[in-house]
Amino acid sequence: MRDATAKARPAPRLITLTINGEVREVMVRPRIMLLEVIRDHVGLTGTKDGCESGTCGACTVLLNGKPVLACITLAVECDGKTVETVESLSEGGRLGDLQEAFLDQGATQCGFCTPGILMSAKALLKSNPKPTLPEIKKALEGNLCRCTGYNAIVDAILQVSDQGVAPLMK
Amino acid sequence: MSKLKYVGQSLKRKDGPDKVSGRAVYTQDVRLPGTLIGRVLRSPHPHARILKIDPSKALALPGVKGVITAKDTIGVKHGFVETPRYPADQDVLAIDKVTHVGEEIAAVAAIDDITAQRALELIEVEYEILPGVFDAETAMQPGAPEIRPTHPKVKEDLVNIAGKTETEWGDVEKGFAEADYIREDRFENQLRTHGYLEPQVTLAHWEGDKLNVWTSSMGTFIKRAKLSRTLGLPYSQVRIHKTYVGGTFGGKIDLYSHEYCAARLSMLTGRPVRITANREEIFSAYRHSQTLTIEIKTGVRKDGTILAQRFRIINNAGAHRGSGVVVIFLAWGFIMGPYRIPNLKYEGYAVYTNHTTRAPQRGHGAPKVRFAVESHLDMIAEHLGIDPITIRLKNARGPWEQLPNNDNTHEAGLIDCIKMVSQKSAFLDKWRQARPPADSKSPLRRGIGIGVTSYMSGTLIYPNGSGVVVKLNDDGSLIVLTGALDVGQGAETVLCQIVAEELAVGMDDIKLITADTDTTPQDIGAWISGMTYVTGNATRQAATHAREKILKVASEEMGVPEEDLGIEDKSVFNLHDPQQRMSYAQVFSASVAKHRGDTIIGEGFWRTMRDEPTHPSLATTKGRWTENYAFSAQVAEVEVDIETGEARLIKAYTVHDCGFPVNPGLIKGQVDGQVSMALGQAFMEEVMTKNGYTLNPNWLDYRMPLIHNMAGSEDFEVITEQYRVGQPYRTKEVGEGLVSGVLAGIANAIYDATGVRLTSAPFTPEKILAGLRKLEREKARELA
Repeated sequence: MRDATAKARPAPRLITLTINGEVREVMVRPRIMLLEVIRDHVGLTGTKDGCESGTCGACTVLLNGKPVLACITLAVECDGKTVETVESLSEGGRLGDLQEAFLDQGATQCGFCTPGILMSAKALLKSNPKPTLPEIKKALEGNLCRCTGYNAIVDAILQVSDQGVAPLMK
Repeated sequence: MSKLKYVGQSLKRKDGPDKVSGRAVYTQDVRLPGTLIGRVLRSPHPHARILKIDPSKALALPGVKGVITAKDTIGVKHGFVETPRYPADQDVLAIDKVTHVGEEIAAVAAIDDITAQRALELIEVEYEILPGVFDAETAMQPGAPEIRPTHPKVKEDLVNIAGKTETEWGDVEKGFAEADYIREDRFENQLRTHGYLEPQVTLAHWEGDKLNVWTSSMGTFIKRAKLSRTLGLPYSQVRIHKTYVGGTFGGKIDLYSHEYCAARLSMLTGRPVRITANREEIFSAYRHSQTLTIEIKTGVRKDGTILAQRFRIINNAGAHRGSGVVVIFLAWGFIMGPYRIPNLKYEGYAVYTNHTTRAPQRGHGAPKVRFAVESHLDMIAEHLGIDPITIRLKNARGPWEQLPNNDNTHEAGLIDCIKMVSQKSAFLDKWRQARPPADSKSPLRRGIGIGVTSYMSGTLIYPNGSGVVVKLNDDGSLIVLTGALDVGQGAETVLCQIVAEELAVGMDDIKLITADTDTTPQDIGAWISGMTYVTGNATRQAATHAREKILKVASEEMGVPEEDLGIEDKSVFNLHDPQQRMSYAQVFSASVAKHRGDTIIGEGFWRTMRDEPTHPSLATTKGRWTENYAFSAQVAEVEVDIETGEARLIKAYTVHDCGFPVNPGLIKGQVDGQVSMALGQAFMEEVMTKNGYTLNPNWLDYRMPLIHNMAGSEDFEVITEQYRVGQPYRTKEVGEGLVSGVLAGIANAIYDATGVRLTSAPFTPEKILAGLRKLEREKARELA
């Protein structure tokens, strides 16, 4: 049990993050996770909190371009780094191609896993513009989706990477 | 009638842009200034008397703003079922004793999570430990520890009976006497969780005379009813707001203690209170599915015709009645739906044990029942030398069959489903091949199996009916007010398609306001598989009502009889002179000017089985259950590694009679999701418990399907109904019934691949290997 007195607590630190291109300075105690900074300090609630234990992938964001689980990434470790969240995928209210492909394939149902899956997919496509099925599976193996059975998600990634999958939805 | 433009099309989700952009606000995203964090104190024991609760040290902790125990409640119980026969048996906070690990005892609200957690640890509770009982069949026997009294109407010498369903028709003994072959089997299945990605979370804000609640749920009106009653507030003082919902699958229907606690703590402190359950709490203390033990005896003729069946089902219902007494009713429904059973005797027992309380789960028992029945039927067919398709066609119900409860199968497409799935999967070419791949040294064996299901499409449970309002705006666009809640199934999209079709407006011309108990009409909720049918027909009726008003005004203005008018593109036109037209915007102005200010509002309402006073009897099955049976036949192809015992689903074929598909793309999403759930249930998912404690309370140790487990899935519709503008229609459910056939098909396919007949789910490598070893030993004995 942590001591409740302020003195005994580890000192907070000021960290600087570039979140979706905007520089943010945040005071955090060392135990605070990146997810809490994104959702509660900065107020970007698109990134979801599904398990707080690194098991579901709903909180996946890109840290210096690489996917990480924000719920088990200490915020102090992110000082000076760039963070991209689901909110970065649309510009001026216009959806990006990856997001449109998810709508075209019906790849979102309840939508709770979607922000994390989109970020895993974005990281994949950046380094690998035409991923194979095994590569897609590898990139998304840390993201749980309980609604879709994953088929539509794979199709969305194949569609956006121009691999011969046509939209299912109009 | 002109061709349909919106209904029947795979149109993109109305809520899609919100969900892929991160704009969608789920309950966990709602922010209110000054919010306190609530936490719930849970029982560490499966069965214990509470001797004393002393919260004084917790209350004295700086930063703690409120603590509640049973003393702070009005003592009104709640339950999934609240009927004269099955009165509520759950306290919002435990009063004298706790009956499962994790049962709620007290709750605190504090300025932050750490303080709240610390406060929980300061609440002193004295327990007297009572003996627990965890196995349902042990719990029934006289002498077992009594959790709650046996239901007074159950006269057998049994204890802990929460409820019993008993029904029969025909003459079962006579049926068995006439049978050429009689077989008896017993099936079991595991405890399984829903696995919704969004945790259980509630934010409540008492504003002096109004309780505002945001909660991750499956229907806001049922939540309002249960919260109002347990808090002692009139319904009108409780408002449940709409939020997006991150998955439910049955696990977020009736009242949960944390919802009550957040509300009560907000009323005490005057500040917003949020309670979020963490994953470990959800796995260890919240409601999962129910485990059914299913005993079947069937008598058949040589040709496979079922003559008689006897069922005895025992449901390990957990610490409260929960939906345990509903499952033993529904199990009967899932038995009698697909096949003709001229003589049936059915008994189902819901038994209290010291496990967590149970909830519905996608299919509400159907997957378990169909796994048992379909496996059993395959065993009978094998004995008789009949193939799995023939025996199913022999017994499948056809159209317009009157069922013993006075339901009717209407345009049942089951026979076509079985024929089509057999053909699409080339079933009989693959069956009994135990196909090893070209390389014959491979340890992989392929097998194919079939399962058949029928499922209800809406029934009568509070709030029973849905209302919808369609409002015309002065620019000719529309606002739809509906209590329907989209939990991911696509309700908002489907309702928009219906309005678009009925009023000839684009999907983008419709704005929905949904699931807010103060501003939208009452709705049945997203939990009885009836939304497209019930709320959909209410929507159609509201749109029709608005269209009638539009045509009346346009007819007067244009000097053209109503029957000579058509609608397209947000305007009314003369069928004989299409150039003569009025936009909806012009109609709106004319209506306001000349119809005493009528702004053109359409109203609609619908209820399934409108002439039935109430739901059927859970105890006797008397009374009608549903007026729309959905039917399906599904085939699973599996691959089994006979060296490791590992099995996986390669492909699932689903052919189903959903009436007609309002949105085939959304239906495909439902099918794929259910295939995934079925393979999880088949191969990997199990909440492991010991003496009521959960051993694997997280997603590392409880395995849910990952992308690596995904299987091919093809679906085809047998269309038995039509949609006509302005007419009532019938759709049948697609969101729950399709787990069953895949699960059953997998069991039968594993047998086809290996000769191992599994009678308990999940079908783990250990069980498959044990089965293979047993076969080897039997073979060796034969040779010896």
